[in-house]
Amino acid sequence: MNTKSMLTVLGVTYGVIGILPLFIGDSSILMRILTMILIWSVVASCWDLIMGYAGIFSFGQVAFYVIGAYSSAILSVSLGVPPILSIFLAGIITGAIGVIIGLPCLKLAGPYVALVTFAFQLALEPFLKGPLGKAIGSGGSRGIISVPPIHLFGMDFSSAELIPFFYFAFVLTLICSAVIVVILKGHWGTAFLALKDSEDFAASLGVSAFKYKLLVFGITSFITGVFGALYVHYVGILSTRMLSTEVFTILLIMIVVGGIGQYPGVVLGTVFTVTVNELLRPMGIYRLLIMGGLVVVVVLLLPDGITGLIQKFSDFRFKKKKNQAVETQESSV
Amino acid sequence: MFIEIIDIIISGLLNGSVYALMAIGLALVYGVTKAFNFAYGSFYTMGGYFAWTLLVSVGIKGGYYTVFLTAIPFLFVVGFFLEKILISPLRKRSDWQMKAMMLTLGLSLFLDIGYIAIFGPRLKSLPDIVEGTIDIGPFAFMNQDIVIFILSITGLLCFAWVLNNTRIGMAVQAVAQNPMGAQIVGIPKDRVFAATFAISTIMVGIGGILLSQKNFVNPQASTGIMIKAWVITAFGGMGSIKGSLYAALIIGMLEAFVGYYLGMIHIEVAVLTLLLITLAFRPQGLMGKE
Repeated sequence: MNTKSMLTVLGVTYGVIGILPLFIGDSSILMRILTMILIWSVVASCWDLIMGYAGIFSFGQVAFYVIGAYSSAILSVSLGVPPILSIFLAGIITGAIGVIIGLPCLKLAGPYVALVTFAFQLALEPFLKGPLGKAIGSGGSRGIISVPPIHLFGMDFSSAELIPFFYFAFVLTLICSAVIVVILKGHWGTAFLALKDSEDFAASLGVSAFKYKLLVFGITSFITGVFGALYVHYVGILSTRMLSTEVFTILLIMIVVGGIGQYPGVVLGTVFTVTVNELLRPMGIYRLLIMGGLVVVVVLLLPDGITGLIQKFSDFRFKKKKNQAVETQESSV
Repeated sequence: MFIEIIDIIISGLLNGSVYALMAIGLALVYGVTKAFNFAYGSFYTMGGYFAWTLLVSVGIKGGYYTVFLTAIPFLFVVGFFLEKILISPLRKRSDWQMKAMMLTLGLSLFLDIGYIAIFGPRLKSLPDIVEGTIDIGPFAFMNQDIVIFILSITGLLCFAWVLNNTRIGMAVQAVAQNPMGAQIVGIPKDRVFAATFAISTIMVGIGGILLSQKNFVNPQASTGIMIKAWVITAFGGMGSIKGSLYAALIIGMLEAFVGYYLGMIHIEVAVLTLLLITLAFRPQGLMGKE
């Protein structure tokens, strides 16, 4: 996708999301959904960056999100760091852990990376619930209950004040999306694509796999950590339930529906998935059944997700127009 | 002290032998089809629920004999058609490995939630395969443990025999070595893929029937079992069947010792640490090829 259409899709999507509070600002349910769309869209975009563009099968995205949330919560609750600073520190901690996880992964072939990162997520829950986690202040299986809200310019940003928090998250989302676009369209994005297509050939041209793969681990886990921290200051409570397969699968649906490696597509996928997930909530357990089935169906039927569908449709219309043009030319002759 | 250690070793051997059965199924399916199956643990639970339905819900005659005789064809059919319908259409695409991972992840959520929707969230307990204990010197062995151990080892030996001595087994090995070459000499590649997937489903399903007698049928056990089977396969070397056997026994022992001396909650952390250390020094696993 070229830069122009990428920016158009992003601009229109975020523009609409940014205006919506003017109309639905009274409804707290809709505002909550809208805020979650913002948070998940960045987390899913980071996953798309590492998996779709850099070609690393990292399945640790939810783990990084939770690490960000826990580090910011622990910093602000146990050490009394102001949340605005602890969010940033949480990003740095998560980024560092991302690099540490990334180091062994660089040596490994594709499926091994998926395995190590996924096992990392599974091992995180017993770690946080166990004595080691309690020692650093994770609160064990009870979790952390009173996380302070973000305090900035004499205002509190939390779930009590939905609209200010929404715009706070909105600004952060725009900044992070801009960073992602710059990465994708700049020198780094080209390097990622080259490494994904042929690592040996890219290396022969002087593109260091080590440097770029570690960089992408660091950047994506930094941004994910920041948004995990943002989330925890928004809801105010935190437990290891975030590490369930359910959250992981919902994140997976966003990227599958949006199209892997089709960047702004994943944002559309997030809008779709979060909305459907909320609509299905009254159905109880069948919601997850449908979400699981959805992954299977979308992967089977839509190889490039919504983006692929739109491209196919516009190609079709383009061809039709072209044919019509040819026909009118012929008839006029 | 000494008796404790012997007890732990026995429990490690027992778990290890069933893990070996499951991990070798996974090593086989990865070695042959190169598909990374995230729904593997759900078939473990499926085996458990299948046995529960027959034994407790229906109360079928013949007990475990009937269960094993019906479970093998049932799991084969399930595995065969899942591969045909879900995995094989993906194979034409360039990034099918990633897509297969995602699809099987969705499938595993679908199956696990499906079990809860059908059978309810409570744990189900299976009757013991045989009752009673045997005393040998100072040690008391449960007959059930001995039977589980013998059955899983028998399953492994049967599998090794089929793989090395029958035409089907040789076809599977040929496809694993070179799918294109196998197709040229007239081996139906796609059918071998589906059959391998089905055989691995049987192995993990039988593992589920065996271990669920001791650990209950639990719809939330799938992820843990899946990751355990994958860790064993990666630790032993992806696609190496001998490596998986040794790795399964080592992991079984490690779990038993860590669980006894440090507490059950540390098992997953210990297993992951072992895997990370191994992969850092030998990225191809214990016995994998470069």
